[in-house]
Amino acid sequence: MVRKIIDDIEKSIRETAKKLLEEGKVDLIIGYTKGSIPLRSGPCFITDASKTDMLVWNQSCDLNLAKYLAKNDDRKIGIISKGCVGRAIVHLIVEKQLNRENITIIGIPCEGVLNRAKIMVEIGDKEIIEADIEDDKIIIKGKDFNKTLPLQDYINQLCITCHYKIPPISDIILGNKKPEKPLKDDFKDLNEIESKSSKDKIEYFKKELNRCIRCYACREACPMCYCTLCFIDQNKPVWFGKTADISDNFIFHMIRAFHVAGRCVSCGACSSVCPMGIDLNFITRKLEKIVKERFDFESGISLEVLPPMGTHKFDDKQEFMIEED
Amino acid sequence: MVQKMISKEKISDLIKELQKEFKVFGPVKEEGVVLFKEITDAKEICLDYSNSKIPAKSVLFPMIDTLFSYKKEEKGVKIIENPPYEKTVILGIRPCDSMGFSLFKIFFSFGKYKDPLILNRLENITLIGMGCLEPRTTCFCTSVNGGPFNKESVDVLITEFKDNYYLESSTDKGEALIKKIKSLTDADKGDLAKIEKLQKDIESAIPVIKGLDSIHTKLDGLFDNPMWQLDAQGCLGCGACTYLCPTCHCFDVLDENKQDGSGRRIRIWDTCQFPLFTLETSGHNPRTTKLPRVRQRIYHKFNYYPKNYNIIGCVGCGRCIINCPVGSDIRNIFMSVENSSSKTEG
Repeated sequence: MVRKIIDDIEKSIRETAKKLLEEGKVDLIIGYTKGSIPLRSGPCFITDASKTDMLVWNQSCDLNLAKYLAKNDDRKIGIISKGCVGRAIVHLIVEKQLNRENITIIGIPCEGVLNRAKIMVEIGDKEIIEADIEDDKIIIKGKDFNKTLPLQDYINQLCITCHYKIPPISDIILGNKKPEKPLKDDFKDLNEIESKSSKDKIEYFKKELNRCIRCYACREACPMCYCTLCFIDQNKPVWFGKTADISDNFIFHMIRAFHVAGRCVSCGACSSVCPMGIDLNFITRKLEKIVKERFDFESGISLEVLPPMGTHKFDDKQEFMIEED
Repeated sequence: MVQKMISKEKISDLIKELQKEFKVFGPVKEEGVVLFKEITDAKEICLDYSNSKIPAKSVLFPMIDTLFSYKKEEKGVKIIENPPYEKTVILGIRPCDSMGFSLFKIFFSFGKYKDPLILNRLENITLIGMGCLEPRTTCFCTSVNGGPFNKESVDVLITEFKDNYYLESSTDKGEALIKKIKSLTDADKGDLAKIEKLQKDIESAIPVIKGLDSIHTKLDGLFDNPMWQLDAQGCLGCGACTYLCPTCHCFDVLDENKQDGSGRRIRIWDTCQFPLFTLETSGHNPRTTKLPRVRQRIYHKFNYYPKNYNIIGCVGCGRCIINCPVGSDIRNIFMSVENSSSKTEG
């Protein structure tokens, strides 16, 4: 059933893209295409209506394609948008980074993407030669092994808690599935880490961030990281250390997190692209909770509401700035 | 050439013996990721692995490399040199990664200025390589002068066969080393012929990419070809491909100062994929967009290396394919080069 829904969406993505290009409504379609290894997809840029069969849609489509949009791009662009891609577009419009009129948002419902890092840990350094997703199973084939994993356990945690499966704003919506009512997010998934002592928390952060090699794939994949010069690249004078030492890694990831607070659309691209399999979602998810609780704000939902970091109210809660413990 | 063997169960004995004389590095699995680390406990080594996430170059060329330390004194500054590099064995390095070591040697000793740090380490490192019984589908070592059992750049090559590891020396250094290890016994002559056949079978099963031997001349005419735009448009501009490449060796040098007047000069990994890499003090940047950066990676390995050192700057490990966040595949670039160059010629 799930498989059929996904295949149908893929089919309509191709048809819609073809039609939009043929009718001259867009100059370019940005979508997903198959990667050269199993469970990997990549971005796809199509200007030729005869090539829309390159477009795919499946649970390995983990990039946030909004990254490929830019303010100074004059082309008319149709973009395949799952919920979080749509949210990123909306938020970027709010931050005046995109021209709404140039973008055709082709909304598709998304049931979540795979957590490839978790699968790799489970498989244990073996090469996956073939991977298939049936309804609730991931079927993995290697040279001398076959493994079936329950799909639900390997869906990205952010996708499980995501309650915007389709973009909040779309020009075209594909797929028959009616959007479900947004679930109430109780942030229960954070209980485990929140209940840890400060010492255990820091140990957990260290364990994760120790592996960082500073390739900046997280930053480069993040639709909200569009600064011309990132704080970490400031070198006249140098602001922060650029080594892969744990203290420098910690500072980089925490400050980047501060910079996306109230802006992060919980797409999980930062974690998905990490070659070292670092789970960065634990930081972004906590930020999402703080922003929701403190400012009752969710990024990328409305074109009208200004984000907390982009506005100021005299009654903004600020006890955290003077809080002592 | 000396051929020896040891039962797999006794690998700890071999490691313990090596540890008496050497610092031993080997593949270790941490949080599901295989990396080359110093082996303190022989049980930590994970020899049943396909290839490490970060190439073994991290031993020779660490992510943070102290060049020297210093301390401010009443009169001037005192320079504190690094302690001498200990004799080191890297056990279980794959032939592709060891080929990377050979390329490091060429690069860091080329021309007028030598890199004493790297060259001294290379002198003190003995490579005990491990042949690949299961090359990945992304491997193409045989297309770039390598092979899953290539002995050229290791001192000793291990081949796993049944319950044993077979060791074969390929340098004097390697021969001297395995001759004196007591836990090794003479190789079972009956198995050696079978091993040779096994090696040949595995090697010939790796698909060969045609035309890589002449890729540098084809690239000569493609610098301004539109193909680079196609590759650049999806690239995120991260450093995964280069940082995880066994031959990429670019670095940045910086000083870390402490408030007490002491500090160190370090070099850290840097990459041509970052805009800052080519930013000049004047403010001019010759590679402002992704296109020239994407192209640079290919030209450096497949055009400048052959021209400068008469060797391809790629060992075919496939890490850039596996780890690219956007699924870019260097083999597709080879294909574009082939197609574009035949078009240009025609």
